[in-house]
Amino acid sequence: MTAAVELLRGRGMRDLLPEDMTRFRRIERAFRDELLGWGYQEVRTPTIEWLHLFTSAGTLSPHLLDRVYSFLDWDGWSGERVVLRPDTTIPAARVYAEHFTDEPAKLFYVQNIFRFAQGDEPRELWQCGAEVYGHTWPAGDIELMAAGRRVLQRLGLGDVRVRLSHTGVLRALLARAGFAPDEQAERYDRILDGDLSVTQEILGRLPDVRAPLDLLFTVTGTDAGYLSNLRAVFAEAVPGMAPALDELDLVARALAATGCPFDISMTLARDFEYYTGPIFRFALSDGSDAGGGGRYDSLVHRTAGSAVPACGFGLAMEHVMARMPEIEPERGPVVLVQPAAVSAEAAGLALSVASELQAAGFCAELVGSRRHPACRWTLTVDPARGAARYVLHDVQSGGDLGAASMDLVLAALGRGQC
Amino acid sequence: MLTLALPTGDLRGPVAAALAAGGLACSPYADGSRSLRLSLEGRDDVALRVFREKDIPIQVALGNYDFGICSAAWVEELQSRFPYDDVTVLRPLGFGRHQLVAAAAPETLQRLGPLRSWSGVRGLRIVSEFPGIAERFARRMRFARYSIHSVWGAAEAYPPEDADLAILAVKDPSDVLAHGLEPLVTLLDASAWLIAGRRGLAGRDLGAVIGRLLAMAAPAVPPGTLALPRASQLESRLAPAAGREREGVRLAVPDGHAQRHTFAALAAAGLTFDGYGEKSYVRRPASGIDGLEVKVIRPQDMPQQVALGNFDLAITGRDWLLDHLFAFPASPVAEALDLQRSRYGIAAAVSEDVPATTLAEALGWWRGQGHTAIRVASEYPNIADHFARLRHLGRYQVIPVNGASEAFVPEDSEILIEGTETGSSFRANRLKKVDHVFDSTNCVITRTSGIDGPRRRLVEQLVTRFRDGLDG
Repeated sequence: MTAAVELLRGRGMRDLLPEDMTRFRRIERAFRDELLGWGYQEVRTPTIEWLHLFTSAGTLSPHLLDRVYSFLDWDGWSGERVVLRPDTTIPAARVYAEHFTDEPAKLFYVQNIFRFAQGDEPRELWQCGAEVYGHTWPAGDIELMAAGRRVLQRLGLGDVRVRLSHTGVLRALLARAGFAPDEQAERYDRILDGDLSVTQEILGRLPDVRAPLDLLFTVTGTDAGYLSNLRAVFAEAVPGMAPALDELDLVARALAATGCPFDISMTLARDFEYYTGPIFRFALSDGSDAGGGGRYDSLVHRTAGSAVPACGFGLAMEHVMARMPEIEPERGPVVLVQPAAVSAEAAGLALSVASELQAAGFCAELVGSRRHPACRWTLTVDPARGAARYVLHDVQSGGDLGAASMDLVLAALGRGQC
Repeated sequence: MLTLALPTGDLRGPVAAALAAGGLACSPYADGSRSLRLSLEGRDDVALRVFREKDIPIQVALGNYDFGICSAAWVEELQSRFPYDDVTVLRPLGFGRHQLVAAAAPETLQRLGPLRSWSGVRGLRIVSEFPGIAERFARRMRFARYSIHSVWGAAEAYPPEDADLAILAVKDPSDVLAHGLEPLVTLLDASAWLIAGRRGLAGRDLGAVIGRLLAMAAPAVPPGTLALPRASQLESRLAPAAGREREGVRLAVPDGHAQRHTFAALAAAGLTFDGYGEKSYVRRPASGIDGLEVKVIRPQDMPQQVALGNFDLAITGRDWLLDHLFAFPASPVAEALDLQRSRYGIAAAVSEDVPATTLAEALGWWRGQGHTAIRVASEYPNIADHFARLRHLGRYQVIPVNGASEAFVPEDSEILIEGTETGSSFRANRLKKVDHVFDSTNCVITRTSGIDGPRRRLVEQLVTRFRDGLDG
């Protein structure tokens, strides 16, 4: 049976089963409630976009670009390819540019992305994301960090640590070493891969830099003081770092003021190509990464031609689903309503009784189903029997209650016993 | 049984010589031979099959063949489209040297500047027989907006009118100059490669042949893998690639097998183009008609070129028109006139060994034999795909083929969708027809929208002349 299912399902594709969907909807609800509370508006972008939205420099990184699902559409005789949405930030920027003129605009979405992964690794991923467009530095960044962290806390994921970084720090170093922008991205990824030969390459190009580069690559700061230290060490050799360190310092101090735990690492995020400012990630109590975002002030310009700064974040729903604590069923106790006889009158009564139970918060069904939790109550309805029109049976205790009105039935269900 | 896929075409001679020197002489395999199934002298544990070069990496990746020999460019093309395929390069062979060059016309370079400044240009048109490599090249260059025009051949014919950049396979960069183009960057400089399937190497004992193949006489050369340049300019200029307004009418006529029939149809319509004969042509013949420009390209590529608006009308086969329309049903190209020449049927054929006279019987037999997926090989992948859906084949694989297709059945596919005039080629390869798909003749195709005023009138006049030629 299992083997047959695996043959039929596309590689890297996953079915979301009832328990998964319960968790999925719980995340979606927590996310929507939180973001609506901060004044964001919900959007949904198409599954298929033009590939060219993602190919310009400063949009999707080459690493991700090599994993998109692109194809010629049924009217693609022009040779211009379309793509299954490989990222949510870039389509959201397009939506902003095409439909919104106000600044700031605050949008959020819950949608899937498609990226090739080897073997059975998932190729369809779900994200909850939020974006702020307009000149909102630094309030927009801080608002997004707070909102994302609170979503995770709403889901019972405990204390969430924010991990901070800034692309400008390493960019300044690599630019000072004379690397072209595309070379900077490649060297950045190699640093993240632990390729220490890049350090030697940088030092070879910058013999005047005597500062220990390890301070950037291997040390994780736990206090804004770490940034002061970097500023002191690199101020002279790499003056281009200063604006990035100042921005990061502001964010770090704001988090500290709210009591939010954070750490700072300059080698935090891969595929950073569109980020231009502070980056943040959300670390769960087990140390795992639940998502993150950052500032991308050039992306809207690259995508749609209008220069509007922006920042945003996304949560990896599969990751969060897997770490959520046990959750309660979405509906109250289950009552199986069954007519005592096969007649139109009895069926009609059963239907109205089921509706009444559902309105009272119970899960009432005319057709029993095998599922969790098991059905505890059955309610037999018989319009021909006045005093025992309703017979409630407790499957757990074996007790019965005969009643002439639904009020007695609802009261018994409320008590949890016949 | 060990299997080896060998190339047809120019590589036959050097491959045959290298195999013989390695003690793997096979016959009949040499320049000019037409046999598609071969055997090794003194070895009955090795099966050899001749393919078009482009098909060899695909066949090795599918696991149908343990080893293959073909130009490096076709291996790189497959790996550009499917980076996680199962092909590995065992060794470069030194002979069959070729280069992949990105080239442009001088007027394009004058308009857009040097290649390094093209990153921000929107609407670049790139033409190539190697669409996978072209796609990777465009991404690596971070072109802001581009289209890849995949063609069967003659990519050098497209710049500057119909493409801004061509990625060409040449023996030497001077070949690019001979086409009036400037080589901009060399993406690959390599020879023929000996390749193998990873799965076969991992799970089967191929030792009986692998040592001999590696011992083939060939100079030691570096493999010369694909080297794509990086964009060196991140700031986008966001400039349009070109204004492509034109006033005249453009007609595409074919080279190759279809040329003789087209020449006859033109003659019947009273049209003679200087530089387009029954057997010879120049790329841009002179029409002798005011406002009519003529270009010679491959018939397979004509429907797309007409749909793109690069040409207003073209003479091609209905088979190529339908293959295009099955891929792109809304494409603005249609048959304007059946020229009723070059007639052949497109048919589905199976091996004579299949005990069936109809497709339904054959499907039932294969299912009884435990086939999970039916493989359909064809030079018309979109027609084959449409056929498979229409005939409810269930689970199927379309195997695109670039020639030498009759020998795919039965080893490498169950069904072949192929053009047949008399059926003699089917019989010679022990195939039998089980389904008729449609009849193909050559026809005039035109763009269904976007042609107005004097251009529309000239197009209609030309179609009328072809029709009068038919009536005459």
